[in-house]
Amino acid sequence: MATAQKAAAPLRRAAGPATGPRPGRRRASLVPVLLVLPYTVLLLAFGLGPAVYALWLSFTDATGGFAGVDNYARVVQDFRFPGAARHVALFVGLWLVLLVVLVVVLALLVHAVSRRWVGTALRFAYYVPGALAGASSVLLWLFLLNPVASPAAPLLRLLGYESFNDTIQPTNLPVVFALIAFWTGAGGWILVMFGALNNIPDDVMEAARIDGAGPVRIAWSIQLPLIRKWVTYMVILSLAAGTQLFVEPTLLSQASNAVVPNDYSLNQLAYQYAFSLADFNGSAAISVLLLVVSLGLSSVFVARGGLFDTDAS
Amino acid sequence: MSTLTRTGTRPARRPTAGGAVAALVHAVFVVFFALPLLWLLLAATRSGASLVRDAPLSPGSLGQLAENWRSLVGFQDAAILTWVGNSAYYSLAALALTLLVSIPAGYALALTRFRARRTLLLTTLVVMLMPNTALVLPVFLEMNAVGLIGTAAAVVLPFSFFPFGVYLAYIYFSSSISRSLLEAARIDGCGELRLFLHIALPLSAPVVALVGFFSFVQNWNNYFLPFVMLPSSDDYPVQIGLSALLSSTPAFNPSAAGAAVIDLPTLALATIVSVLPVLLVFAFAQRFLVTGLTAGGVKG
Amino acid sequence: MFISPHPARRRRVLVLATAAVVGATALAACGSGEDVAAPGAGASGAAGSAGSGGITVWVDASRAPAAEAFLAANPDADVEVVSYDGSANGSDTFKTRMNLYDQAGEGWPDVVFSTQNNDASWASQATPGNEPFAAVLDDGLVDPEVLEGFTEGSLDPCTVEGQVYCLRNDLAQVVLWYDQQLMDDLGYEVPTTWEEYVELSGRVAAENPGVITGSVGDAWTPEVFMWGSRCPANQVTGPRSISVDATAAECVRAAEVIDAGVADGSLTTLSVFAPEFVQEYSEKVLMMPGPAWFAGAIFNNPDSLALPEGRLGVAAPLPWEGEEAVTGNVGGGTWFVSSHSENPELAADFVEFVTTDDAYQVEQAPGYPAYAPAAEKWLAQQEESGYYATDLSALTEAGSVIWDGWGAPAFSQEAVWADTMTPLVTAGGSVVDNLDTWGEAIRNEAQVNGYTVE
Repeated sequence: MATAQKAAAPLRRAAGPATGPRPGRRRASLVPVLLVLPYTVLLLAFGLGPAVYALWLSFTDATGGFAGVDNYARVVQDFRFPGAARHVALFVGLWLVLLVVLVVVLALLVHAVSRRWVGTALRFAYYVPGALAGASSVLLWLFLLNPVASPAAPLLRLLGYESFNDTIQPTNLPVVFALIAFWTGAGGWILVMFGALNNIPDDVMEAARIDGAGPVRIAWSIQLPLIRKWVTYMVILSLAAGTQLFVEPTLLSQASNAVVPNDYSLNQLAYQYAFSLADFNGSAAISVLLLVVSLGLSSVFVARGGLFDTDAS
Repeated sequence: MSTLTRTGTRPARRPTAGGAVAALVHAVFVVFFALPLLWLLLAATRSGASLVRDAPLSPGSLGQLAENWRSLVGFQDAAILTWVGNSAYYSLAALALTLLVSIPAGYALALTRFRARRTLLLTTLVVMLMPNTALVLPVFLEMNAVGLIGTAAAVVLPFSFFPFGVYLAYIYFSSSISRSLLEAARIDGCGELRLFLHIALPLSAPVVALVGFFSFVQNWNNYFLPFVMLPSSDDYPVQIGLSALLSSTPAFNPSAAGAAVIDLPTLALATIVSVLPVLLVFAFAQRFLVTGLTAGGVKG
Repeated sequence: MFISPHPARRRRVLVLATAAVVGATALAACGSGEDVAAPGAGASGAAGSAGSGGITVWVDASRAPAAEAFLAANPDADVEVVSYDGSANGSDTFKTRMNLYDQAGEGWPDVVFSTQNNDASWASQATPGNEPFAAVLDDGLVDPEVLEGFTEGSLDPCTVEGQVYCLRNDLAQVVLWYDQQLMDDLGYEVPTTWEEYVELSGRVAAENPGVITGSVGDAWTPEVFMWGSRCPANQVTGPRSISVDATAAECVRAAEVIDAGVADGSLTTLSVFAPEFVQEYSEKVLMMPGPAWFAGAIFNNPDSLALPEGRLGVAAPLPWEGEEAVTGNVGGGTWFVSSHSENPELAADFVEFVTTDDAYQVEQAPGYPAYAPAAEKWLAQQEESGYYATDLSALTEAGSVIWDGWGAPAFSQEAVWADTMTPLVTAGGSVVDNLDTWGEAIRNEAQVNGYTVE
């Protein structure tokens, strides 16, 4: 119990070197800096640098001159923009709920399986779809969503769909994308959560059981608080991934020969701007807008999830 | 927590009903996750005509499977094998670099103090939220500037930047190794490097497995970066190869109709071939995931 | 329930093994603090320009034999062949990569094959700081006599402001395919005008429900029905201007054909590549207006309709009563020479060879050659196969009457139709009532692509 409470009340510390008492003879060691140095180099080269460049692009025109907010104004006024923004919002709402609830539940259930081989088999079954990505799954969804050739045909027929084009009507798309994204993405997160649950010391769980707590109560009062950081991390990354919706509509666009448009989501629109219209500035503007939204939403979860706090004992 | 003790009167003995519900949930989700894959496996053993005419889950034959395999390796002199080899090379090289870089970084961010710690964490998170579409052009221009376009380094180096893995390591170390334990060791005169090597590393098997696994899968499945960096078909990884196959099927490219084309079952087989290495790595990595319990022991 | 899943001994072994691996890793990272070296092995040279003397050629898998044929005929030529997806299925690979190379200022290949036929619209235009990608071919690079040999109008999609920027590989002219045996069995005559076609479709729907006379489930529906009816919804009037009138009488009459057929079931709303199409309509396709490649892709394809030998007939494009027949076109690849090429002569020789030489266009090409002399021989060869119930002169006729009022703008008309009209047609909505929606969608798409809409 004590551990759970400790984890739930993280101690916030100011940035910078610790001010607390330290073993006297040693000054701040260089080792931590050396440990993060290689990563920092990569971060600058392939993360921060490109991001700053994109930011710069979004405020300049094709010849490199300062453009103010022209790029932003142009992309927001694009007739496709409002629709794409609505699509993304719908998708993110649906998918995030689906993902968080089901991943946590499934991870708890997998963790509760007592037979080792069953647990392994379940993790495997849940994970395998994650190995299929991009081009590999175009074919799969072309058939899966077809009421005539799909193994899920009875279900599709039950819902009143007679043909592939029926299934992918515009109103169905957010659900379809959420299902595809869940199918491919959930397994990985179940693995992460499973690992996190495994990290909870046996004695904590044992103590709770001796106290007479049932599996549901243990999950709610002990396991969940202890994996809170992981859940926060999942929410933030999934939020970002959700706002960057790209793969699912792109593959259905391919499978349906463009009945699902290739500018369905904002990120696809950014892609179209860059590579179809050769307008890298407009593209960068959309990306920056997406980033701002993700950051705003994420900061809420970061603050509430204690993600940056080191676990102080 | 006080509510917990109040329920003490109730014996923890309801697994029969609860267990049945759990089993049912598992059953539903196993079908959800596995059914499409079963279809894919069967599809590789069927003919194109059977795929569209027969029942969705009707099995094909081994002969047809062999036929599809011949058609697959017949595509551009067994290009599929080259692609898989390329993918393995890029992904494994990046995997090694990623582990070298991410695990120490995650540890340092979680359990040591240095000036830019919080800034680094924040930057990492911001960069992770940045849409990839925006990063492609700058990274391409960088690689072009140093003359690496068309070389393996052009994909391996960007692949090695894996902020997701750094965060995994960061969260893992910060939630599974007790800070007081490290303090005690420091007081005992243990240097920072030794702390990392002798206390943190031996406990890091689960997170090494997780980071390594996710890095491998992400790089294996990455389409866009190699698409941009590697113009030559001899250097394609398997994902780009698959899209080349896809565009050689009449259903996805009517203009290919009549030429030496790829049937849908051949495409299904190619898909399975492309996924197998990931499953192998999964099987290997997941054995280490359960070792999480060891780390818990130290937490105390 | 929470049983520790494994014995301690095994655990220790695993931990040790991992620690050893990561230990080495960490040491390396701490030891130098330097960034890791780039793994250079296995790297191959850039696939851009092969430098002076040689050329780099991008082809899709189906066109690889064309490059092989060229190499067989010119064994000394220094040609590096790179296969890519051919920009098929809306991937826009060609355009995407050229945009990147434009940004980098280098890396362009010398020759590119594209399965799209609207690439000249952008490849002929300069991007900031760069020449247009496509080299002008009719200023001496390609022999004027060769250019004249192409089927009349076939180079229209390659022509921007009077200059030719690409050579057409194949045509995909729309003709009327029909099942001779089914026609005879049911006692029908092949229609000779659109009016007769509509009337016959109505009779078929009433007398033989389940038998179809066409399909409107695919993205190329406007090319088959609207283009063939002179619908002025896609008139490109300049490099960046377009005129869109989707509610003109010519569009309305074509839309009425679609609506009537969908209403009585004689036109299917299924894609011809959908499994349900094959299941439902094998042996039940009486006729079908469609491009030249339908023969190989649908009728004579064991995975599709698999129509037996001696049954497939082909009729010339249908005219509207009192008008000359015109027809549409669905696809057909194009060959480009790069304006950045250091060896434009060899590049031009290459595209000339692959579009005109018998060694490829007659002996191996899967589609109807755009180069007229090759097309003639190609047809003769097809007729020899004995598959068709009629001669193939209708294809030649159709090839020369492709209406020139339907342009090839930088955006895809097929994508616009698929996105706005296909869901509507599938749901049973009326095309006639929604022609303005379609026109609006085209105008919007044109505007975001930088077109002035007239």
